[in-house]
Formats: sequence, structure tokens, C-alpha cells
Amino acid sequence: MDTQALWLTLRLALTTTALLLAIALPVAWWIASGTGAARALVQAVVALPLVLPPTVLGFYLLVALGPLTAPGRLIIRLLGHPLAFSFSGLVVGSVLYSLPFAVQPLVAGFRAVDTALLEVAATLGASPARAFRTITLPLARPSLVTAAVLTFTHTVGEFGVVLMLGGNIPGATRTLSIALYDQVQDFNYAAANRTAALLLAFSLATLIVVYWRGAERRSVLG
Amino acid sequence: MGEMGGGILLPPNVRTLPPLRTELAVRLRHRVGALVIDVDFKLNERWAVLFGPSGSGKTTILKAIAGLLRPDEAHIACTVLTGSDLERTFVFVDTETGCFLPAYKRVVRLAPQQSALFPHLSIFENMMYGFHEMVRDEREKKARSNKIEKLLSDFQIAHLLDKYPAALSGGEAQRVNLARAVAATGCRLLMLDEPFSGLDVKLRDELIANLRERQEQRRMPVLSVTHDVAEAFQLGAEVIKIAEGKVVEQGPVEVVLAEERKRLLAQLGNSTSQNRDVERPI
Repeated sequence: MDTQALWLTLRLALTTTALLLAIALPVAWWIASGTGAARALVQAVVALPLVLPPTVLGFYLLVALGPLTAPGRLIIRLLGHPLAFSFSGLVVGSVLYSLPFAVQPLVAGFRAVDTALLEVAATLGASPARAFRTITLPLARPSLVTAAVLTFTHTVGEFGVVLMLGGNIPGATRTLSIALYDQVQDFNYAAANRTAALLLAFSLATLIVVYWRGAERRSVLG
Repeated sequence: MGEMGGGILLPPNVRTLPPLRTELAVRLRHRVGALVIDVDFKLNERWAVLFGPSGSGKTTILKAIAGLLRPDEAHIACTVLTGSDLERTFVFVDTETGCFLPAYKRVVRLAPQQSALFPHLSIFENMMYGFHEMVRDEREKKARSNKIEKLLSDFQIAHLLDKYPAALSGGEAQRVNLARAVAATGCRLLMLDEPFSGLDVKLRDELIANLRERQEQRRMPVLSVTHDVAEAFQLGAEVIKIAEGKVVEQGPVEVVLAEERKRLLAQLGNSTSQNRDVERPI
């Protein structure tokens, strides 16, 4: 078992989840709070990673973050090294890659909150920020958990973006799914089997928890 | 007198003193689907009733006053007189100048027709929601919870304090819904959308008596919505009769709803105790 790859994968998934929730909360709130062309555009962009081959996203990021573009050169000057082929680069890629998995459950959760409750909150003197904090967020908590779990598991399972953007550097960018690929390339099927079984068990267990919680919630609410 | 004398130099706390007089001026034009609402009326610190059939635009008028919708054309302003020379006008909305005061800044409380209790908060927490400023002072906290307990016991729902909305019956939720709007700090206008529908007559009369007392103490205008003639008479209120989005008539209930009262009495037939029956239609 490649424990270095395991820890790297967990660290990447945790960092991505934390960052992505911070980004997805305001984006999802904005999308859910109205309609219009601007929101449709943002939703389409957010949903792109669902349909785009991960290698396409990885390729564009590789180019964008490299020395060929102005933002890429700026990053290189600021950090002293390119973002590509580093852990930070992987975080950027993962955040974009898992964006829909965080934003979409949150949008659905926020939209499910009865507007009558928010209207009452306003007539009781609650500012939109207070109403969001005290009404919308607590009522949308299950979708917050779903968004976090899906982001985490999706990041654990990502392959294409990591391969394009991160390469295969042990301790920096070599995640479990890359390690598995390496093990197969080396005809080390026993090791590959363990890695694959670990990833499968982890994904299945998380999904069972998500659906279980969902079913319990529904039965409580009738 | 000495205490009052200080009030000339230092204006009295606007929040704690009930106003001497409040006036709300509403001019509103708004289209909802096929219905065009076009109304112009004034309210004072008395209890006023918007009376009209369902679909005549009553709820939309309340929402426009509360700031829950952006009207096509409107001028809605509230003038509060707190001392002999302290008059303040709050413009809620003026489409000509583009002024729109958001709902949460209007200090207008609206109890919606469909009870909308916060499902994740206990009844006590629901009732506390209208007190925005956090207080750390224990005495002040105690005063608040006493106020809420008194209000809930007046509404005969004191036993619900620690329950959650899901455990309440429709009638109980309706009373919490009303009480929560009444409890909130400060109130330039209290609006109640069909507040007593579905409650039994005895309870309704008790609630009305209690609310009237509070309204007189706090000298705040109350605007309630009903299509029930008996309820309007029970309130003995100023009636604004609405039909298809227009004000048909405004005035004392005995005048404006005289026709409806006659029709109701005719329906009741040869009853001997007419007065009581007016309050108990059907």
C-alpha cells in the first residue's frame, strides 16, 4: 500500500472541500436567489466539469497556469515556481473539477427553503444576511453535508485532471488513483488490487451514508 | 414634569415611547396577472380592515406595504408623531424618486395568512426572532421572556413554549404566527392577513379583545384582512372595502358594510337574538 499517496489524497480532498465550500456558498446563494440570463450562464459554467473530459480541463489549466499566459507568468513570479506539477496546482484543478458537486446540491437546498419563511423573517426585521444565517443555512444543512461529502469523494476519485496538471510526483502530486495506474503499468496487480479495493470501499461507504441520511430525513419530515 | 422637561433637550427614546399619532398613506398601482390593483387610502392609529372577496388583491396590498414586492407605481409613507414637535416621515416606497426601503427596515410586522413558523426553531425561539438586538443583561433577557410568556398565555398557547412547529395543530400554529408578529420590537404598523379564519368564535373574540387592548396601549395602526362581515363588526373598525383591486368605499363598518349586514341577517331568517347572530354567521 502506498501510504504516501493515501495521505496526499486525503490532504488534497480535505483542502479542496474546505476551499470549495467557501466558494460555493455565495455562488449557490446567488444562483438560487433569482432567475435570468446571467445566472443561467454561471450555472452552465459551473456545470461544465460534469460533461467535459477531465483531460480537457487539465490541459487548459496546464496552459493557463504555465509560463505561456500572463496570469501564469504572474503566478510564477509570485510563487517562484509554476502552479502546475505542484500540490497547490492540484488544489486549483480539484476545486474547478468538483465545482458542480458542491454548487448544485447547495442551489437545490437553498431553493427548497420556503420563501414565505424568508418574507416573515424580513417583516420581523431580519436583514438578508441574518435571514441567510439563521433560516436558509440551518434549513439547507443536509445539502451542505451532501455538497461536502460529494466534493470530498469526487476529489479522491479524480484522475484526468491530476494526470494532466500534476503529473506523477511522489509526495506532491501522486494521488491514489495515479498510484493505481502506476501499479498496473508495473504489472503489480496485487498492489493495484489493494488500492482499487480501498477506493471502491471508500466510495461505496460514503454513498451509503449519504443515501441513508437522506432517507432518514425524508421519513422524519413525512 | 422634571423628567419630561429633559425630553425637550434630549429627544425621548423613539422606540420606547408609544407614538401620539401614526398615519400611513398608501397610493398603489400594481398589476398581478389579470388583476390591476389601484388603491389610494390613509390609515391612522385605529384598527382598519381591508374587506373584500378572495382574489380582490388584499394580500398583494399588504405585501406592497410590507416591502415584500416591488410595486409598478406606488407612494407609501408612514408618518409618526412621537412628541408635540417630533414628527418623522418614513418613505417606504416612492417609484417616482426610485426610493425603496427594504422590508426589514420598515418596522412593519405582517402575520401571513398561511402560518410560516420557522420549523427548526422552538416556539420560544420563533417568538424571540423579532427581537433583533442581542442582550447580555440578564434582567433584560428575563423581561423579554416574561413578555413572550404573557403574550402566549393571553393567546392560550403558553404550553407550547418548548415545542417545535411540526408538533402544533393548524389553529395553534396560527396563533403563534399572530403572536410572533405582535411580539417583535417596535412596530409602526401591524398587518394581519385573515388572522382569525378557522378559529372558533369564542377564541376569536378573546383574541380580538386582547389585540385591541395592545393596539390602544401602543397606539399603533393595525390593518387586518377579512372577508367575514361578522369579524369586521366585531372589530368595530374602519373598513376599506375592496373589489377587483379598487377601493369601493372607506368608512365606519356600520356604514360601509350595512348592505352586507342586512343580507346576512336576512339569510339567518327569523332569529330573535339578532345581535348575537351577527357575530355568528352560518
